Amino acid sequence: MKRTFRNILLTLFTIVLMAGLSWADTLKVGVQAPITGSYANEGQGIENGVRLMAAQINAKGGVMGRQIEVIVCDDQGTAMAAAICAKDLVNKGVAMVIGSYTSTAAEAAQKTYFNAGVLQTSDGTADSLTEHGYWTFLRNSFPNSAEAVFAANYMVNVKSYKRIAVISDFSSYAAGLAEATVAEIKKAGGNVVTYAKIKADSQNFTPVLTNIKSKNPDVIFFAGYYSDGGQLRAQQKALGIKADFIGGDANDNADFAKLAGSSAKGALIINVPSPDALPYEIAKTFIADYQRTYGMMPPSIWGLMNIDGMRAIIHAMEHNQSFDTKKAADYLHNMDKPLEGITGSISFAADGNRIGGAYVVKEIQADNSYKVIYAQ
Amino acid sequence: MKNLERFGFPALIVVMAIMPNLLNPRWQAVAITFLIFTVVALSQDIILGKAGMFNMGQALFFGMGAYITAILNSQYGWPLLATIPVAILLPALFGVLLSGPIIHLRGDYLLVVTIGFNIVFIQVVQNNLGGITGGPNGIFGLDSLSLFGTQLTSQLAVYYFAFAVLLLTLGIMRNLEKSKAGRALHYLREDHLAAESIGINTRVYKIFAFALGAGIAGLAGTVFATQYSAVSPEAFEFIQSVLFFSIVLVGGSSMPGILLGVFMMFVLPEIFREFATWRFFIFGFAMILAMILRPRGIWPATFGKIPKFLIKESNHGA
Amino acid sequence: MDIFLQQLANGLTIGSIFALVALGYTMVYGVMKLINFAHGDMVAASAFVGLTIYTQVMGQATSLVAVIAIFFLSAAVMACVGIILERLAYRPLREAPRLSAVVSALGASLMIQNGIMLIWGPQMRIFPELIPQVYWDINGVVISLIQVLILVLSLGLMIALYLFVEKTRMGAAIRASAIDQDAARLMGINVNRIIAIIFIIGSSLGAVGGLFIGLYYRGITFNMGWQYGLYAFIAAILGGIGNIPGAMLGGMMLGLFQAFIAGYISSTWADAFTFILLILILIVRPTGLLGERVAGKV
Repeated sequence: MKRTFRNILLTLFTIVLMAGLSWADTLKVGVQAPITGSYANEGQGIENGVRLMAAQINAKGGVMGRQIEVIVCDDQGTAMAAAICAKDLVNKGVAMVIGSYTSTAAEAAQKTYFNAGVLQTSDGTADSLTEHGYWTFLRNSFPNSAEAVFAANYMVNVKSYKRIAVISDFSSYAAGLAEATVAEIKKAGGNVVTYAKIKADSQNFTPVLTNIKSKNPDVIFFAGYYSDGGQLRAQQKALGIKADFIGGDANDNADFAKLAGSSAKGALIINVPSPDALPYEIAKTFIADYQRTYGMMPPSIWGLMNIDGMRAIIHAMEHNQSFDTKKAADYLHNMDKPLEGITGSISFAADGNRIGGAYVVKEIQADNSYKVIYAQ
Repeated sequence: MKNLERFGFPALIVVMAIMPNLLNPRWQAVAITFLIFTVVALSQDIILGKAGMFNMGQALFFGMGAYITAILNSQYGWPLLATIPVAILLPALFGVLLSGPIIHLRGDYLLVVTIGFNIVFIQVVQNNLGGITGGPNGIFGLDSLSLFGTQLTSQLAVYYFAFAVLLLTLGIMRNLEKSKAGRALHYLREDHLAAESIGINTRVYKIFAFALGAGIAGLAGTVFATQYSAVSPEAFEFIQSVLFFSIVLVGGSSMPGILLGVFMMFVLPEIFREFATWRFFIFGFAMILAMILRPRGIWPATFGKIPKFLIKESNHGA
Repeated sequence: MDIFLQQLANGLTIGSIFALVALGYTMVYGVMKLINFAHGDMVAASAFVGLTIYTQVMGQATSLVAVIAIFFLSAAVMACVGIILERLAYRPLREAPRLSAVVSALGASLMIQNGIMLIWGPQMRIFPELIPQVYWDINGVVISLIQVLILVLSLGLMIALYLFVEKTRMGAAIRASAIDQDAARLMGINVNRIIAIIFIIGSSLGAVGGLFIGLYYRGITFNMGWQYGLYAFIAAILGGIGNIPGAMLGGMMLGLFQAFIAGYISSTWADAFTFILLILILIVRPTGLLGERVAGKV
């Protein structure tokens, strides 16, 4: 009995081992992104972009002879699903993970990837992402602290607002950006009249806005996501609050203007440039390919930043002529020459932060288009 | 039926003891999830099925146990296993405190109040009360299991931890049926007035059932936190309570029924990944169909143990 | 003071939506003693149906007639869904144990909610701006056209319903069925028909509530039904479940309560305070503010 059991076990083990060997011919690239949920279009943008980039690399013979195999896991933009995704992707043997869109989901998965030595590149902008000292994490966007400095400078020095109201939700991204911005405003000598928090997705923001109205601000800075931002803007106008409205980068989505309706006009959004405004040749080619493949523009620049993160890791592996993730990370942390990317040149600081920053202020026009009114 | 109980259960337990060695890590993870949710469903069965109280907030106690483990581990550096006593006792205590004032409410109201407890709990952890719950992100990066100083990082260790918890729960439920408390619950479920008139303190026994169910759910929470090395509010939303509530009733408040329910709800979607988006739609349909075809559950508890609420009432509404 | 009045206006607007939805819960409970957990999801579904009618059937024409037509068509569609729901999920269980019907209702809720997701997708859908953004500033209190519309229409519908139930023969039949179905049957009342009518009325009112949510907040998601359904159900219990004026009062009170809690204490604790209020009321006055109109006890 015992022997039979051991034989079965051995057979199974051999099968698994052989299966493992036959799979080892591919380079497994995980995508952890919100395929469903409130940020589904961003998540699908990341998935589409990674699949397209993988197909293009595979068509040219893959990475050092290995074809890329894309494995997608839906983290729904939530921490719990992200933790499950992380375990799942590691179990499936990925070498790198692209994503996720939200800082919350990226942060919840970080330690699992770190323990497994899997490289992770995310557009999450929460500063805390690079504060754990995980060598596996590479931020392909710019951290909140850079945006906070820009936003505070714009509000205090450029526009000379005297009474600034700040709103955020509870997520690590939004609260982090809001707190950093409040600190930077104070550092620049500005006056924050109130810092309020809203519950994301709760729709009815009028009680909070009514309180803000009594503080009589001349600008409202909202650090949360577009799904709440558009409604906030509409309800701000409906309550007759005359203040300007400035949204943080996560408000840069076409749905913001749709939600705000006729109130959208005049709202300001701070972000890095949108995909169609990218001047680089490599960007124009990739976006044209994307449009041809999927019949639409990438939903935002975030998906493209993730693609740049993926390109950087593959570039490092090819440079090292090795699939070793630690070596790739070491190379990326000490690049002598930045890599030309879709979203500008990419290089990383020793803590995994992307170096640089290029923010603009966009104003929403009557036809819901954007006009850049101030650039860094 | 008798044969099933005599041979079916030991066979199932043997299979469960051996199975994980044959599975790859992904299916081990699914098997662990199955064990955890089975324990929670059984704890819900103590309150809903055995004591007959309409509780739709079981995820609260489950989540409380998970959060206690996560907080004690991440903030105070307790080993995961050392958090078990607290993760059992505190939810049990809360079970007593919360059920005390509401135990006399009638069914539908009890349902809504327990939903309310669950939602208040979610709000408390989301708002990061006391700065220890991690807000909407929750707490991640817990330690792995360790026993006598040895790190047990493999999934198998977590599996056998979960398995031990399930065996413990089964043992408790078996004893409950044969103990004084179990008989008391049985009588008061069958006939509340008669139970009171023969001197059973119904209030005490109802609160006892709540505390027991809460404590077991809290222990399941510890296993959950261990498995995912993370806790976060949305894992304990009241929709989870709705699922446990439904699993007990659709299963008919019996062991095989509950196992079947947990399997359908948490394992089948893993097998049929392409149906993941259809999962709740199909489950909703199955709930309606199951109730129409078998109003007492797919696998009703054997006669003599049929909970009162499953017996047809002469005049509905009365 | 104008802050207080502003919160009052905000609270009454959201409160009248709660009240409309609460009526659906309370009427079904009154006659069938069943918590219709699917009602909240029906409300969400109506917003999606209304949006589809506008984009597909109306060809995105923005006019008063179009808006009125959306209301009538959506209400008609949801009334049909309500009848089908009752026939398929609840009627076969009318003689079954009570909890079987509760599970069936939960199943129906999951089905409708995820049906919306399968048809319209998981992402937020956005309502067009059908009601022009017009505001009046009265001594610092700003009231918008849509708020006035929601309040006036809701009150009108509620008064009409009240008169219907209290003054007509059909209303008397509904009341009789709520008190004792068997006796009502002996009096020659077709209880099945009464229940169908209740589902038509409840679903239509819910549909109006769902459209108000879409028109007022603009962004609609497939899972928003739980939130509104739960609040509305609490409103029904606050007023005394089974009691029609109670549902109206409960809805308004809950809307005001939430507005003032969020405005004066903390918006992030609004849910917790709402449930603490509910639990206190149930402990102190278990039959709600205006008392139940339900004959039996469980």
